Parts: sequence; C-alpha cells; structure tokens
Amino acid sequence: MIEVSNLYKEFPLSKKQQKELNTNSNIAKAVENVSFTCQPGQIFSLLGPNGAGKTTTLRMLATIYTPTSGKIEIAGIDAIKYPQEVRRKIGFLTGSTGLYARLTPIELIDYFAKLYGVSNQQRDQRKKYLFDLLNMHDFSNKRIGKLSTGMKQKVSICRTMIHDPEVIIFDEPTSGLDVITAENIIKLIGDCKAQNKTVIFSSHIMSEVDLLCDELAIIHQGKIKHQGSMADFRNQMIETNLTAEFIRIVQS
Amino acid sequence: MIYHIFKKELLDTLRDRRTLVTMLIIPILIFPLTLNLFVSISSSFEKNASTEILKIGIIGDKNHFLAKELNEIPNEMGKKEMVFFKDSTHFFNALANDSIQLGIRTNEDFNSALKSMIPAEVSWYFDASEIGRKERAENYMKIIETKAQEQRYIDLQIDGRKITPFQTNYNNVASDKKMVGMLAGGILPYIFIAFGFIGCMYPAIDLFTGEKERGTIETLLTTPITRWQILIGKMLVVVLSGLVAATCSLLGLYISIEFLDLVENQELLKVIHEILSFSFLIAMFSLLIPLTIFFAGVMIPVAVYAKTFKEAQSIITPLNIIMVLPAMVGFFPGIELNFQTACIPVVNVVLATKELIAGTLETKYLVLSFLIMLSLAILSVLISFRQFGKETNILT
Repeated sequence: MIEVSNLYKEFPLSKKQQKELNTNSNIAKAVENVSFTCQPGQIFSLLGPNGAGKTTTLRMLATIYTPTSGKIEIAGIDAIKYPQEVRRKIGFLTGSTGLYARLTPIELIDYFAKLYGVSNQQRDQRKKYLFDLLNMHDFSNKRIGKLSTGMKQKVSICRTMIHDPEVIIFDEPTSGLDVITAENIIKLIGDCKAQNKTVIFSSHIMSEVDLLCDELAIIHQGKIKHQGSMADFRNQMIETNLTAEFIRIVQS
Repeated sequence: MIYHIFKKELLDTLRDRRTLVTMLIIPILIFPLTLNLFVSISSSFEKNASTEILKIGIIGDKNHFLAKELNEIPNEMGKKEMVFFKDSTHFFNALANDSIQLGIRTNEDFNSALKSMIPAEVSWYFDASEIGRKERAENYMKIIETKAQEQRYIDLQIDGRKITPFQTNYNNVASDKKMVGMLAGGILPYIFIAFGFIGCMYPAIDLFTGEKERGTIETLLTTPITRWQILIGKMLVVVLSGLVAATCSLLGLYISIEFLDLVENQELLKVIHEILSFSFLIAMFSLLIPLTIFFAGVMIPVAVYAKTFKEAQSIITPLNIIMVLPAMVGFFPGIELNFQTACIPVVNVVLATKELIAGTLETKYLVLSFLIMLSLAILSVLISFRQFGKETNILT
C-alpha cells in the first residue's frame, strides 16, 4: 500500500534558472499538497501533461528525492525516515531507464539481485521464472548494448521484478516504445495487479489509463486536479471521450 | 555492498575500450616507445657524426698554419676535409649554404703575431643550431693551442710546470644514484602524475556523468544502498584506474630496461636496479595512493555536476594542465623538499619521489607530504559526497 499525504517538493533555482523562467522566486514548486492512497491489488494512475509533477512525485515515492514536507508511507514504512527499508519493497521502472550496455542481461540481473540483498537461491529461482516468462534465454549472455529495444525492455522488467517487490512504480513506462514492446509492459502491469501488488503508474496516454487503472489522479502544475475511481471518472464525464475530458479537467 | 558496486564498475570499466587504452596500453607503451625513439635518434646521430665528413673552410691556402695543424689531427674526432677560399665573400656564402660546416678566418698579421709570440687572433664560424659544431671547433682549437703553447715553452726554454701554479682536480662526491636522481629524477614522478591523472579521468567521467547521461543512475538510486556506498564503490574504481595507469608506466619503464636493452651503460643500469627496489616502490605508492584519491576527488564533483560526457571532459581537461603543471617542478634543479614544499600538493609528491630516487629523502618530510596528501584526499572525498548527495546534480 502507498499512502501519500500533503506532499510538497520545492527545488532551488539558480540565478540563471530564474532568468530562464522569468521569475524572481529562488524556488520552483514542483509538487504542492498532493495526497492519495494506492491499495494492493489495484492500479493507481497518475495522469498529467508533461511537466505536471508526475515524475517528481514518483521519484519521491522511490526515495530518490526527499520531499520538502509531507508524508509518504510505503508498505507500512515511513519512506522519509527509512528510505533504505522502503527501497527493498519497491520496484521502479521508467520509460527512460537506461541499462549498462557493457554487461550481459545475466550480469545485470545478478548485480541488482545482490544490491537488493536477494539470496543466491532466491535469485536463481526468480531469474529462471522471469527469464522463462519473458523468453529471455536466447539473449541472456549477449551484451545489452547489442540488444534490440524490445529485448532491453524485457531486461528492464526483469531487473525491476528480480526482488519480487510489493510495490511497483512505473514512470511513463511505455514512453518511446513501439506497440509490441509496450504490450510487454501493459501485460506486466496487469500481472502485478493479479499478484495483489500495489501498482502506481504515470502516463499522459488516456487509452493506457483506461485499459489498466482502477483509481486515478489528474495532476497539473504540481497540484491534484481530480481524484477518484476510473469507473466514476467514466460516469461523470462531460466531454464525449476520455482524452477530451482529461484536457477539460487540466484546463479548468 | 561496496564490493558489489566496485566489482560491477570494474567489469564495466574494463570493457570500455577508451579506458583500457588510457589505463593500460598507452602507459605500458610510452616508455618503451619514447626510449626506443630516443636511443635510435641518438645512435643514428652518433653514427652520422662518425661517418659524416665535416668540411672546414679557411681563407688562405694549404700552407696556412691552422690548415697544416688541422690536417695533423687524427680523424678520431670525426672525419674532416679542408676547403680553401681566396676571399671572405665566397667563404661566408659557403657557410650560409652549409657547403662548409666550420669556417676559420685569421687576420693578415696572423703569421707575424705567431712569430712575435703575441696572441694571434683566430675567428671560428659555425651554425650553433646544429648540434656538436661549436664543440668540434673548440676541441680542434684546444689541441692546436696546446701544441703551439708547448712549442713556445721549448722556444723560450721555459719549463711549463713553473708557470702553472696549481694542478686542480675537481671531484664529484655524489653517488651515481644521487646523480641519476638529480638529472633524471624529475621525469619519473612527472610521468606517474600525468598517467595517474589521465588514468582517473575516463573512468570518473564514465562512472558518474556517463551513468547520468545513459539514464542508469535513477534505477541504482532506488536500490537499498546508500549514496555513500555508491560513491565509494565507484571512487575505488576511479582510484584503481589511476594507480594501474601509473603502475603500467613504471612497468613500461621496467620492460624497456630489462628486455629491450635500451640502457647499455652497465654502471647506469646498476644504479637503476638499485633505485627500483621494493622499499622504493612502497614509499612511492604511499604517496601515489593519496595523490590518486585526491585526483579522483577533484574529478568526481565535476563529473557529478556535468550533464554530458562532453561537458565533463571540457572541464576536466584544463584541470589536467593545472594538476600536472606543478609536476614539472621536478625538472628544475635546486628545488628541494623542505617544510614549505612538503605542504604544496603535487609538488611535494614530485620532490619526494625525486629525493627518494636520489636516496636523500628525509623521513619527516615524507610523512608530512603523506599527511598533506591524505588530508586533501579526505577533503576531496567529502566534497565529492556533498556533490553526489545533491538531488539537482544526480539526475538530468
């Protein structure tokens, strides 16, 4: 479970950045008073245009950024006080994730398993399960730099899931991927839900959200503009389609 | 955890061709190649000098006193041929177009001055930019002059010893080791420092800026390891690369001496063997380790701050000049390791190494240099951590 309450994130602005943004303020408010809850076995979607604050929010959940104020609890652990503990519970996948091109998939997965403190026995079992599931055996010993985008995405998925996380954070996971490769991610998100994991994913693609999510929050300029179940969102729509309704809410 | 990060980063680094070239290949080859080149050039110069016929021009004919004297000098100093000129115009033209390499011009009263036993003026002409010509002229003149002087002693019936008040001997009491240390001791630390820096450079950029640029740092930060552990694991690889590069340059030097027979002088070879001892290596590395940590600590904050490989390279490359320039102090004679110089980073390592080679290093200055470098290394690690801990620096 993820519980976020009154989350704020401010970044300091250098003189140069102040000039570029045409502001006198020495801080930029990326996230303002964001609160939501993600339940296990459900998919929560954070929807918003580019620069809305989705990535900053998810990076705070993943403990990469420390919030300016507010509270984050993941799997019952305070993420601000105990970031190391929280990281053991989460898997983090973004569309822009890079992989170590000079390593092979096996080397990379073993490395991350060690970093997550997975025992050798557990690692071998998880690796076999994931390699079978994602059909990765044929390229498991090739350098990652020589793999296709689809193969790399499978390696990324395997890396995210090697420690069998309770909570999975996807930051625009299908961004820049072709339809077939994106399908692997869509399937993974669905599987995570079936395994009763807590899933949060950010996107700006309404069709993806419609296909997967149970709960959604629309974020714009760092603030939550709408929050509720997907079913309610559909029922209360004013516009004729989901994308138009999303745009209406953002612009309201 | 640090071990796992170190192991992975090392594997990653060893698979990077660019790093391998700067860390292993160039440092190993630099000494054999440069020494080989130096030896080939100097031996070819010596060979040329022994076979080349030096043309000596003189205004006058074959009966000129100096022409006759020169002809009597055996060819051990190099072959020579006399060319005679009637006037100074042709003489100077020949010098200008190098058809003669040395020129001699005497005054009209040269013979009468000789007869009158007063100093006879002799002017030598040569192109001083050509190595060895001035020395040849001086040597020829010394022989002729000594012979003429002895003849005058006989003619005047003077015992030469009576007008020579002193027989002076100048004796060098410095050991061969000290002489090698003074003359060549600056090169070794310079090479060590240059390669130590270059060896650190690519891994530092690759492991910090590269990770940011390739988008791999984000996932690393979501694993249950602290930023300290990540920093130390990566930093160890950067330091090791610098040390390996410096060690490879030493290995290259060893290969040149032991296997390529580039040093023919047996005395010098003995001195070099004496210098490259186990205790020398221990003392050398005790200075080199904190120095390399310091280098890594200077580069890492830059690499963490930079957004692209190019940006990092454009900042670190000028730093290379700032860091390596003080290493040139080893080439200047007279600068010694004392309390003041031991407090100047890089300079202290160079001077300590130089004195280590010469066998004149005082332990108190070695310890002081080590402590100064160690303090700077610790400070640079703390600065690196501060930069690496900044959220705005680690993600693009």
